[in-house]
Amino acid sequence: MTHRFSISPIHARIPFSPSPPHRQNLAGDLHTHRPRLPLLRSQSPALYNSHFSKDHRMTDNIDNADSVKTYNDLCYDLSSLQDLASRGAWRSILDKVAQARSRSLLSKPHEHLVYLSFNAIALTKLRRFSEAVAELDLVEKGLDIYRYETYPHHYPNRHGSMAPFVLRWLHAELPSRLGKRQETLDRFYILLQFIKEKLTNNLPDSSREVWKKREGLVINSIISHHLSHKEFGVCLDLINELINRESAPVPRAILMSKLGYIQMQFGDLEGARGTFGVIERIVREQKGDTEMMNLVNRNKALMFMVEKDYASAVREYQECIDRDGSDVVAINNKALCLMYMRDLSDSIKVMENALERIPTIALNETFVVNLCSMYELAYVNHSDIKKTLSSWIARVAPDDFDTSCTRI
Amino acid sequence: MVNEGEGGPSGGHGGYGGDNNDSDTDGTQSLAFRVMRLCRPTFHVETPLRFDLSDLIVGEDDDDPQSQFRRLLQSQSSTTTDLTYTNRFLLHDDHPSDAMGLPGMLVLPQSFGAIYLGETFCSYISINNSSSFEVRDIVIKAEIQTERQRILLLDTTKTPVETIRAGGRYDFIVEHDVKELGAHTLVCTAQYSDGDAERKYLPQYFKFTVSNPLSVRTKVRVVKETTYLEACLENNTKSNLYMDQVDFEPASNWSAVLLRADSHHSEKSVSASREIFKPPILIKSGGGIHNYLYQLKPLLDESAPMKFEGSNVLGKLQITWRTNLGEPGRLQTQQITGNLITQKEIELKATKVPSVIILEKPFTVCLSLTNLTESKLGPFEVLLSLSDSQEEKSLIGVGLKKMALPQVEAFRSLNFQMNLIPMEAGMQKISGITVFNTTEKKSYDPLPDIEVGLHMFLSCYCWSSNWSNQKHY
Repeated sequence: MTHRFSISPIHARIPFSPSPPHRQNLAGDLHTHRPRLPLLRSQSPALYNSHFSKDHRMTDNIDNADSVKTYNDLCYDLSSLQDLASRGAWRSILDKVAQARSRSLLSKPHEHLVYLSFNAIALTKLRRFSEAVAELDLVEKGLDIYRYETYPHHYPNRHGSMAPFVLRWLHAELPSRLGKRQETLDRFYILLQFIKEKLTNNLPDSSREVWKKREGLVINSIISHHLSHKEFGVCLDLINELINRESAPVPRAILMSKLGYIQMQFGDLEGARGTFGVIERIVREQKGDTEMMNLVNRNKALMFMVEKDYASAVREYQECIDRDGSDVVAINNKALCLMYMRDLSDSIKVMENALERIPTIALNETFVVNLCSMYELAYVNHSDIKKTLSSWIARVAPDDFDTSCTRI
Repeated sequence: MVNEGEGGPSGGHGGYGGDNNDSDTDGTQSLAFRVMRLCRPTFHVETPLRFDLSDLIVGEDDDDPQSQFRRLLQSQSSTTTDLTYTNRFLLHDDHPSDAMGLPGMLVLPQSFGAIYLGETFCSYISINNSSSFEVRDIVIKAEIQTERQRILLLDTTKTPVETIRAGGRYDFIVEHDVKELGAHTLVCTAQYSDGDAERKYLPQYFKFTVSNPLSVRTKVRVVKETTYLEACLENNTKSNLYMDQVDFEPASNWSAVLLRADSHHSEKSVSASREIFKPPILIKSGGGIHNYLYQLKPLLDESAPMKFEGSNVLGKLQITWRTNLGEPGRLQTQQITGNLITQKEIELKATKVPSVIILEKPFTVCLSLTNLTESKLGPFEVLLSLSDSQEEKSLIGVGLKKMALPQVEAFRSLNFQMNLIPMEAGMQKISGITVFNTTEKKSYDPLPDIEVGLHMFLSCYCWSSNWSNQKHY
């Protein structure tokens, strides 16, 4: 018999409770006035701060009582964990888990597993890989004991594994972070086999859908590992398999774009052109929305770029940005095109503008690597401006942001 | 590439200043060159640590948490007002391929990298005024200096840059097709008037080395009338090379066809968009190889039925490869030569062999000797040699061991006959025929064996030569 996690209509609605101490501290950090980067066009600090004013707290993401209750019904104080994770407050999560453990706040076995998952993820995000591996020791020993039927007094009439799937995924991924790439690949392929075997069983439709999604996830992870080692042949085979499995047009178009990128990456420009052409047809037939139209424009821009027609590429990217000001891929790539057009000053402006306007979306390591490369080229004494950028990042960035990307 | 968790790229900065030769400069410089190699960017690749909500907070066997959490997720992530880092943590339902870690973001080259013969060197050059004063009348020059030559890439002597303000920059991009191996230096020089109206000179040098990207090894084999050229390309670079085009351009007297293996049935993709999945020819970095096989046929000119003598030029290979984002490189090989063909001067053929040959009874073979040269050849001696083989011969001749033939005119044939006695049944070869030119005192290369089919054999007899229709016993 399956159990659904629904809000019981019998309970009265609980009004949204004031944020616990953890969240307030974090919000406090983000309220700090950000020093403006030099050479930026003047932007009113007030405009920036309004995003983070007390009236629009970032804490209001989980802003309705229903979600909070849903989370907390599942697991003790889960809504907090979720909130912290969404804001990249991984150190706070480690504290929270440590606290829950030391104060024995968790009463049920599955709660321990959920907290363990968050802990392992936090450690991995903070690049403390050996500790993450230690945390996952129980996966190593086997997850078979973590089933509902092992604890009938906690979970009467429930069956199945209570371990979140993420534990298996992390267990496969971690060795590569410690330099043992082959171990990771082996584990992912074994995990793939495990999922395929699960799918041969007679599963209810909803469960089958979830496991099929996990199969896709593992194949995607395998592709990313092969890609980072430039093993393009196997990537093409695997992505071919994924494309054949994907019938929904939007995910299919996005997936095929990645095939196009891979083809471009190893130099098969004609192949990429063909792939992008197919995507364009799909999107036209679907009368795609903003996201799809931007995808097509970005693909067109890439084809212009490889022909060194940077002006046309910039035009395509601008169309994307006009349609969706938070299209960070378009913004980043447009800045690169400007640089290849000898316009280093404007490329820097485009990057800095995005960081100021949409910091939480634009702030990622790749973006910063590009901006720092531009700084190094533009300034003889680039360490000053990079330090300014660095201090800004320190105030705004999530805990897991890899600051080595500034190369200071 | 920025690999999450491994720390940023080490060493190699994008932009860098070069060496200064201080002998020509005195005092401080207001200007400085910053240089960055502009090879094509690459796509950022990573393995993201992003998860589906259902994989995270419920047991793996719990079914259909989807609909609930979809609601939760939607309330969380509206695109423009979502000011959290949820995108670094959660995967969206509609974008499962985000887990592949290939968002389509391009990354600038993070180090100078290696540079190979046949590629194009492209560089962003920025001249910075880091002083507090304007500089004027800037004459900028950029050159590539190799062991053999100096190539001018940029020269503003005729139209000097009027001014660069304090804190300002003047940028340019240069390109140069790399055609030499070894040490190269990008020499950037600027002459300018600084804040004190003093004329200053700033030279800066950026060194790099050009290596050979490919080794090409060829083998030529001749099978009957056809020449086969096998070319093995070895990749000596640090990246995989996509072979965009490898064309063999034959010399004028040859035609060439590339031979391709039939593709294995497993390679034939059943996908609807079949044309996209044509397997690319990608040669792996650091020693990977790929072989090409060409079938060459000589183009025979009707008026001159002769074959060329001396070294045999077959043609050359034109190679175009591509690396990331289609960065091209082009090379051609030197002329590839085939085996030396010595011109055949004579040809010996059997023109008539009796249809029934009886064991141990003599039979007559009609032969013709053709003179393939432009001048008279001969006289000749024809020998059926017995000394070559130690095995018992299946055909023997007894009696006259050599036969004398007169001179043969240019392009003419001479017919003669041999009598032979078969000692074994079945298909036999007439072998060991040697033709000796008595004037030039040379014998010709062993002539091809002539096959004859023999029905039955009886006993042995004497051999006789009767080209003059005289029988000698």
